Amino acid sequence: MWTLQMYLRLIAIQLRSQMQYRASFWLELISTGLLNGSIFLSLALILERFGNIGGWTLGEIAFLVGMIEMSFGCMDMIFSGFDPDHFSVWMRQGTFDQVMLRPINLFWQVLGSRFLLRRLGRILQGVVIFGMALTMVDIQWTIIKLLYLPVVLISQLITMGALFMMGSTITFWTIQSIEAVNVLTYGGTDMMSYPMHIYPAWLRSFYTYIIPFIFLNYYPALYLFGKPDPLHFPAFAPFLAPLVAAIFLTAALWFWRVGVRHYQGAGS
Amino acid sequence: MKNVYKLFRVAKRRAGLWGSLQGLVRPEYREVRAVDGVSFTLERGELVGYLGPNGAGKSTTIKMLTGLLVPSGGEVVVNGFVPWRDRARYVARIGAVFGQRTTLWWDLPVIESFELLQPMYRVPRERFRRSLDEFIGLLDMEEFIHTPVRSLSLGQRMRADLCAALLHEPELVFLDEPTIGLDVVAKERIRQFIRHIHRERGVTVLLTTHDLSDVERLCERLMILDHGKLLYDGSLADLNHRFESDWQIVVTFEEPYADISLPGFAPVRQGDLRAVYPFDHRRVASADLIQQLLQRYRIADLEVRRPPLEETIRRIYEERLLLAAPPPARVGM
Repeated sequence: MWTLQMYLRLIAIQLRSQMQYRASFWLELISTGLLNGSIFLSLALILERFGNIGGWTLGEIAFLVGMIEMSFGCMDMIFSGFDPDHFSVWMRQGTFDQVMLRPINLFWQVLGSRFLLRRLGRILQGVVIFGMALTMVDIQWTIIKLLYLPVVLISQLITMGALFMMGSTITFWTIQSIEAVNVLTYGGTDMMSYPMHIYPAWLRSFYTYIIPFIFLNYYPALYLFGKPDPLHFPAFAPFLAPLVAAIFLTAALWFWRVGVRHYQGAGS
Repeated sequence: MKNVYKLFRVAKRRAGLWGSLQGLVRPEYREVRAVDGVSFTLERGELVGYLGPNGAGKSTTIKMLTGLLVPSGGEVVVNGFVPWRDRARYVARIGAVFGQRTTLWWDLPVIESFELLQPMYRVPRERFRRSLDEFIGLLDMEEFIHTPVRSLSLGQRMRADLCAALLHEPELVFLDEPTIGLDVVAKERIRQFIRHIHRERGVTVLLTTHDLSDVERLCERLMILDHGKLLYDGSLADLNHRFESDWQIVVTFEEPYADISLPGFAPVRQGDLRAVYPFDHRRVASADLIQQLLQRYRIADLEVRRPPLEETIRRIYEERLLLAAPPPARVGM
């Protein structure tokens, strides 16, 4: 309880720090919004021409994109302390030593060390795309589906946050392999922006059995739309999202502890 | 701290492109003993100087004592805690300042960083307020307490960091180069503060520094580390007594003397009226020498010169003087 309070205080002090740079905040908010928005716009123009991708309409793909943009944006805001690009700099500069001198759990301290409010640009853009998608697709909403949607979004957020954590943890050993991790997180979100049955089998297998992103976005969307499953997975496939999140978070926390122990052992 | 050593595995760098490729695939390591069998005990309420040249292992020792590093061997026990094993509970009871870095929030006014420390260390509000007011006075921080940390001068930042390390009333503080890069006035202010918290609050202080005047002004006890080994552990007075062999007496005579010799001494003339008498103060008391001089000559002025501490310490490093006469072993911590 106290740890959580301290986390909130750390976040509060973070936000106050960021308010010192108001101009850069607004600029960045607008520019990330515009950048991501233009990417989606080009996709929309292509779809306009071809009608659909793998049998999915513009509205359905916008639904995928909207979900992932919202959850990734939130993750990027909440887990920005664990952003490997940021954490590796910390590591190089020895800032992590300062964190270890404070009497608070290390995970919560890193989480509380950065809270990028300007990611709101990306989140907002996700909300707009998602809102547009809702007007374009025809979903038979039930209570269960309404309850299920936030579970999916939170599962996406946690799974990608766990990947951020693992990427940062690797920097306890080496800061050379950050790019590899970025391929999984940033590349993964791009992958999840399309219906996954269009991918070649090997790529699909990778995102099913190794990094099971397919259960985070594609299957939930299938379920919400009431579409038949072209890949013929068991009927519980859409409900694996929270399980995937739980497994990834557990693994990430475990790996984090191993990493910290290694850091103390090998030194900087 | 008992027989502690710390090994670092350092990847060997190999020359050329081929070498660096090899390094990626099959790295080779060599072992470096940063701290090599160091033992010492700090008593409650001591103020101890920890000296050594760059790379001697001072920072590594401090990192092991603050729980940042796990020793490769040996035992570190502070106040009943094994620092790295129970990190969060342990660091709540110690303070640490690493002179080169700040623990404060860069973009915020100093006071906001301080105020976060009260709930973080669970200090009762009134007590915290009292300490803060006291420290603001002692460290003369009134003028910059509402300034963002990034706009502070180095001296101001160091004062703020010292304050932050002590607001939760730790019993033990580690100060790693707290006066580095400061001017004389700023140094003196920091020293006065350290002396104050040591005397008035009974805080135990382990101070690493390059600046020997820090040690001369503050510490009763001194530890000297080089190449990861403890070369000296004892009082400053004892160090002077044992290793300052070359004292001098500079004499100004009232009239020129043809013969200035004194049995057992080899004076050096400096002009008609001045002469320097080097002597080993461990064998000859300066009072005796002065008396002899006064009996023989009419003397206008007389000055006893001791070598500066720098000189003594330099000799200890260079000649590894202390290896021959190890200090009495101290065990446990």
